[in-house]
Amino acid sequence: MTLLYGFYVLVWPALTLGVLVLICRAVLRDRRAAKREHRELV
Amino acid sequence: MNSASLHQFSTLTVILLMLAFYGGTYLLTLGIRKKKEDADAFMVSNHRIGFGIGAASMTATWIWAASFYAAATSGYTYGVSGPIHYGLWGALMILFIYPFGRRFRKLAPNAHTLGELIHARHGSSSQLILALSNVLGSVISLMVNFTAAGALVSVLSPLSFQAGVIIAGVGVLLYTLWSGFRASVMTDFAQLVALMAIAVVIIPAVFFAMGGPSELVAGLDNLTVEQADFFSMDAILHQGAPFFVAVLAYAIGNQTISQRLFAVNEEHIKPTFLTATVGYGAIVIGLGMIGLMALTLGIEPLNGDMNNLIPQMVSGYLPPVFIALFFILVIGSLSSTADSDLSALSAIMMADVYGKNLARGKANPQRMLLVGRLTMIVATAVGIVFASFSLDILVMLVFVGALWGAIVFPVIASCFWDRITNAAFTTSVLVAMVMFCLARFEWLPLDGATGLLFELLASIGGGVIIGLMAFGFLGRAMGFLAGGLALLAMLVFATGFLREYTVLLASLTAYGTSTLVCVVMSLASRQERFDFATIGERVGDYDQAHAEPAAAPGQAAAPTSATLAGQR
Repeated sequence: MTLLYGFYVLVWPALTLGVLVLICRAVLRDRRAAKREHRELV
Repeated sequence: MNSASLHQFSTLTVILLMLAFYGGTYLLTLGIRKKKEDADAFMVSNHRIGFGIGAASMTATWIWAASFYAAATSGYTYGVSGPIHYGLWGALMILFIYPFGRRFRKLAPNAHTLGELIHARHGSSSQLILALSNVLGSVISLMVNFTAAGALVSVLSPLSFQAGVIIAGVGVLLYTLWSGFRASVMTDFAQLVALMAIAVVIIPAVFFAMGGPSELVAGLDNLTVEQADFFSMDAILHQGAPFFVAVLAYAIGNQTISQRLFAVNEEHIKPTFLTATVGYGAIVIGLGMIGLMALTLGIEPLNGDMNNLIPQMVSGYLPPVFIALFFILVIGSLSSTADSDLSALSAIMMADVYGKNLARGKANPQRMLLVGRLTMIVATAVGIVFASFSLDILVMLVFVGALWGAIVFPVIASCFWDRITNAAFTTSVLVAMVMFCLARFEWLPLDGATGLLFELLASIGGGVIIGLMAFGFLGRAMGFLAGGLALLAMLVFATGFLREYTVLLASLTAYGTSTLVCVVMSLASRQERFDFATIGERVGDYDQAHAEPAAAPGQAAAPTSATLAGQR
């Protein structure tokens, strides 16, 4: 039960961290692509 | 802990924190600012926003200050499943709109608002109904976010509620006013990074500071049987079901979502919306867990106000630097939503009101920009005044919710079925609103045959919701099958029972009535079937300089004269 509840609470910040890393990497890629194509990011 | 007050910052500290936040955000927008912005970019950037910025902006926009407070309240009230019943359905609002969003984008690749698409499909009356529902929603959202800023500042510092409202309103307006949507999406990314980083730190910090998993499990004894049950019917009926009913309505009725649908690179719509779904769910459910932690510890919310739960837990278990981080978390979330609302409102006034109804084919891009910026100033002032006077907006909220529910079927069906007519769209929404009011305010006694009639309409509404959801992902056959089964299940289980839950009954009635009237009127109409290919020709860019480069790679750019001629 202790492990299960620990997982239940902590899985959300772990998922948040995963999405944060994914978004940051994607933005860096977007930025490089925008530079390459001589256009603005937004 | 129960009797402890919240940590108090000095006036100077809070002013410095807000200056750092809004000053930093403003500086960020200077990097993208153009001396001469163009009208289309002001509304939807270049229609080619990448996956990263798009997903960040979608997530940041959908998370508002109320998300944290409400998720924590849900965890505190309904126990173990409470945070899920708030965060999961909120997240699914993003997920369930994307299949329809792809269709909207395919029909009108250069649109700025969903209203423009509906205008091209039906004309002004249907478009203005949709625009009105979007405007009301965004004004309410602005007010709620400014109110959250005022409340936060007043509970954590000696500054007044009104001072917090004004600082937030002016701060958001300053960085959004010049570049509009471009500033909104750019700052959304920075705000989301801060927001996520803080959430990643704060949730485990509070959890381990209160004693970790063992303390949480020990505290489960403080919960009622319903609160300890992950499949609690109490949580499902009171928190989950009303939210589930609103899943499609919130997404269709919200221009902040449509704006991003039309701004993101078409190929990236699916990953953008999937990532935003997971991101939103993770942050909001995670912060909702703090409400569950408070419940297991037997903590009473300060002054009986549930909104104090998270600040109370952070204040009670963590050093002041975490309270400052929490402060930035809330200011970031409310600002990212408020700037999106300002951008949404300006796009509606620019495209739906000025472009389609006042200029009638002769829209001047520079005048459009002026309309957009003036809208932002007026909307901020209205938001500040409404928030400062703490006006009671309950009735407005109820009506907007009903309006959003009533337009779901007519809007979606109009984009797939060529027989829906303008008269069917408009009449169905108006009749649905009347039926909603009759049920919601119990203007008719909901017993006997009347109660049964409303339960029948609500059952149709339930079938429509499930049917549309299945249709979006699995196609027409599965949509009809799922909708039919849901209707049958509702007829068996809801009749004689649903009348006890008037809020749910009224919401479902709005869906059911609008669908019924819309379908019957459309089938009875002898009007010629609509050619969907004409929508793309009628909806285009406004700014000549922007129109041609905006075309997607591999596609021939529409001649400028054609796109401008299409503004009718």
